[in-house]
Amino acid sequence: MEYYAGVDIGSTMTKVVIMNKGIISSIIGPTGPEQRRLANKVMEKALNKADLAFESINYIVATGYGRINVPFADKQVTEITCHAKGVADFFPEAKTVIDIGGQDSKGIKIDNGRPIDFVMNDKCAAGSGRYLEITADALGIKIEDMGELALQSTNPALISNICTIFAEQEVVSKLAEGVPLRDLVAGVLESLANRVSRMVKRLNVEEAVVITGGVAKNAGLVKALSDKLGYHVSVPPEPLLTGAVGAALLGKDIVRKAIENGESPERKERSLKEIEIL
Amino acid sequence: MAEEEKKKRKKRRTATKAAASIGPMVKAAIGGTIKAKEEGKKIAYTFIVCLYDEILRAMDIVPVWTENYAGVCGAKRDAERFLERAESLGFSRSLCTYALCGLGFDQWREELGEMPPEAPWGGQARPDMMLSSGQILCDPRNKWYQAAQQFMPDVPIHNVDLPYPLYEDDIHFTDIQDYYIKHIIEELRGLVTFLEKQTGKKMDYDRLSGLVDLGEKTWNLIHETYELRRAVPTPMGTGDAMNTMVPMTFMLGTQEAYDFYVGLNKELKEKIARKEGVIENEKYRLLWGGGLPSWFALADFNYFNSKGAVFPAETTYRMVQPIYHMYMPETNDPIERLAWRWFGYWVYWYDKARKRPGSHPDVEWLIQYIEDYQIDGIVMHEAFSCRTWHLGLIWQLNQLAKIYKPIPVLVLGKDGRENKASRELPSLVLESDIIDITSYSEVDTRNRIDAFIETLESVKKGKTI
Amino acid sequence: MNEKNKDIFSRIESYYTDYGQRAKELKNEGIKIIGYMCSLIPLEIITAAGCVPFRMRGDVHEPITKGDINLETIACPFYRSCFDLSVKGKYDFLDGSIVAHGCDSMARTYAVWKYTLDLPYSHFVNLPHTISESSREFFRAGLNTFRKSLGKFAGKEISDDDLAEAIGLYNENRDKVRALYELRKPDPPIVSGTEITKILTVGASLPVAEANKLFDEVLEELRQRKESPFKKVRRIMIDGACMDNIELVKLIEDLGGNVVVDTLCNGTRDNLPHTDTGNDPLSALADRYLDKINCPRTYRENKEQDLQKELESRFGDIGFFARESKADAAILYVYKYCDPFGFEVPVRKAYFESIKLPLLYLEDEYSAGTIGQLKTRIQAFLEMIQ
Repeated sequence: MEYYAGVDIGSTMTKVVIMNKGIISSIIGPTGPEQRRLANKVMEKALNKADLAFESINYIVATGYGRINVPFADKQVTEITCHAKGVADFFPEAKTVIDIGGQDSKGIKIDNGRPIDFVMNDKCAAGSGRYLEITADALGIKIEDMGELALQSTNPALISNICTIFAEQEVVSKLAEGVPLRDLVAGVLESLANRVSRMVKRLNVEEAVVITGGVAKNAGLVKALSDKLGYHVSVPPEPLLTGAVGAALLGKDIVRKAIENGESPERKERSLKEIEIL
Repeated sequence: MAEEEKKKRKKRRTATKAAASIGPMVKAAIGGTIKAKEEGKKIAYTFIVCLYDEILRAMDIVPVWTENYAGVCGAKRDAERFLERAESLGFSRSLCTYALCGLGFDQWREELGEMPPEAPWGGQARPDMMLSSGQILCDPRNKWYQAAQQFMPDVPIHNVDLPYPLYEDDIHFTDIQDYYIKHIIEELRGLVTFLEKQTGKKMDYDRLSGLVDLGEKTWNLIHETYELRRAVPTPMGTGDAMNTMVPMTFMLGTQEAYDFYVGLNKELKEKIARKEGVIENEKYRLLWGGGLPSWFALADFNYFNSKGAVFPAETTYRMVQPIYHMYMPETNDPIERLAWRWFGYWVYWYDKARKRPGSHPDVEWLIQYIEDYQIDGIVMHEAFSCRTWHLGLIWQLNQLAKIYKPIPVLVLGKDGRENKASRELPSLVLESDIIDITSYSEVDTRNRIDAFIETLESVKKGKTI
Repeated sequence: MNEKNKDIFSRIESYYTDYGQRAKELKNEGIKIIGYMCSLIPLEIITAAGCVPFRMRGDVHEPITKGDINLETIACPFYRSCFDLSVKGKYDFLDGSIVAHGCDSMARTYAVWKYTLDLPYSHFVNLPHTISESSREFFRAGLNTFRKSLGKFAGKEISDDDLAEAIGLYNENRDKVRALYELRKPDPPIVSGTEITKILTVGASLPVAEANKLFDEVLEELRQRKESPFKKVRRIMIDGACMDNIELVKLIEDLGGNVVVDTLCNGTRDNLPHTDTGNDPLSALADRYLDKINCPRTYRENKEQDLQKELESRFGDIGFFARESKADAAILYVYKYCDPFGFEVPVRKAYFESIKLPLLYLEDEYSAGTIGQLKTRIQAFLEMIQ
């Protein structure tokens, strides 16, 4: 049996999947300051869950913001290529991918699972999951509850400030003015959807549109984004895992291609020293 | 915009009736351009302070001031959707937001083949031509229409180069004016040729001469009218001036513009006679020393008023100087007169700056107004998207402090004797944008204003007797 | 690598790292050093005056601090960096600075620059925006004013022969840069983009005759490279404004792309066009700086009213260099707050699409920190064009 692993170290969450034909094990954990140690730990958990030894993994691809901090990976690939691949596995008809991460957001145009164009915002928290965290905090609610609350609103508040810090001020003062919480939350989600859609529209958006990243679980946001873009936005069953799945599948492709060409796949030397815990 | 928000924003209070009449006037003008388009008149996109207002009027070209329309969208707090569209087209949000708003609007109109839904005041008419003018002060003037051609490739551009010399120590403008004037005249003649080709009719130079006369008369009248604001209490503030700039910048060379300032002049004189000020208890006289206003937040001027502060003067949109103080050659050629008027305006403060060590025309202008209008403090606005009017402002304040501080003033003591004193001149730089409301925080702005007023108060307490 | 080779490249490295060291030496010999920051400054006039033009650089590793006291943060980030370094004393050896009417960031802050640094000499070169008979004549007259003004400062009347001689030296310099670019054409290239950036940056800090000699030595050494020391990977073109540091080019090359050509101010935009010889030298200079330097700040009339023809007439040089260098893809790198380039981004994208060259558009500030953040985009782009 062949096994492939994808390790996606995002700015807030670390994701690992192990696949053969489908996913046989997946682990999600927070990314801490010690990314190297954590990558090992999460990998170890995933291996335990699948009841596999480290040596039995044929190929490991690391991706995400912390991809260089995965000492045991055979190859590093950006999350843009991995998301394209991962999404195409769930939705072969996907043409546009929106990924909203903890600290950034991206729009990717794909064709047959390969990226053909992309846009990215990583210099400002305003277009990312961080924006929701900060405003949820300011409103004293849980981030998981935002989507449901927003869907109850009929009159979303207008949040005009782009800057996260200003927006935080703005929601607090609107709350004090007596604007209902559900309308404020809906306004916050609309403003995030606005920002993301503005960026994604720089690509020539085509159906099917798929959203990935933890924020995709927020139904209110997905609806707001659908409205802004004028397209239905689909959510994969595990939106947080698409990057890691894409990474594992790319590993599989690399190995297959090498075998076809009668070569051995290009790989970095796995640093086992760093993963002594295994 | 949410309906509630709309209702919440009441109409801004102006000090003068003249300023209050501007809103409907602009609305009518914009509506007029759409009507003119339907009637088959030639429509030209163009920029304010372009120097060739009278040429357009003499050729019956209907100008569409694209900065104005963006400003209207901003003032109505409805620019965001056009800015977003421009951003989706690939323009950076750090660029001039007037241009981004205009480009977003135009692309949308071109895509639909009709005005975008609920376009403010009926929308902006499709042009028959676009008149750029790079000058030496605004890159977007050179680039905006060129960018617009991507979705209006059939609309021709004519770019008019209108330079003026920057201030140098070792070169007097009279040494180089000949080649400046010659080039400006050539450029204006080139514009006339272009317009003649577009309209299929010849320029009537007698008519142009008459309009240039009218334009010059209007310049002088505006100067004299604005100088009336030196009165204490001042009868009109910068908040109003951001309205009364409209006939000066959008309607020059029309009788209507001239008549407007006749009316304003009369109104101000009456107010002065009645000792009627912008506010009852005028405590601080401020100079709006630079920067275009945030069109969506003109109510901040009223906020200043509520704290006892008035703005008797501003350098922004004071786009005229008295013609009788400029060099004007004896000539019957209206094109030449336009060229000299342009040149004369831009070098107006140069000789004065030469007389004060360390001075510069921009700083000299501030000093003149500080003295003429009895100014207690300076306020400027730094709009992030516009380098044209917002670079060099902090330096001007620093240089002013260096060469003009402390300001000697005569203070009338308790015993009625005049005492010499000096005072600080506090300044405040607000930060936001001309129309991008997402850069604005009312809470933050008003906090700054409050702190500034407190500074003015403590300076007044500390230094005067 | 032979000894001499080592010598020339370590000299370049040293000039690059300790930027301005040669200018300081010359200053101590009593030669006047004149700073500038834009490709639109006619260096021939400065050289003809017996002064040394010195291209001021920013520093992406130096946070902008003191400069912000007098210059708004909404100005061009590159220009702010240059100003910040100047205020901090990095360019204290300058006798003067020349500012061009390149963009609002330059034109609108001329006074800030002039008064804050308070150098013995300063001048503003007022380029017109349009290209016409009248604007050429106007610009020529302005250059004549500059010639007289600088001549007075330098204590030397600048003759037409002086100008013709300087024009000759600069044309020679441009031939040598051309020869350097020829070495980028093989696949893989003989010289890397990082090396070229360093060489050209250093060249702009030297008197032109010395730069010519240095380029000769570099060319001789590079021609010894019988085989390219680089991998055969994707060939990348960079389009944009001013790039006087290696960070971005090096990042691309570290991530596995060869930077083989550019349309940048410090590259082909300024370093290739010749000045015509034989006629009135001032008119020839006016022609070069107004017309031959293809900068978005100068308006070129659209005579066709057809988008495709307009694209070709405005950006044809991009296609020319891309074809000549067999570029596989391009990166358009534009600074935030740059109105001249910023308003052209959509239309430049359209041009790249029309010549079927995959494009990555990057908007950035002038800082090593933000350049580092571009890593993922560049790597993803390289993955995309594999």
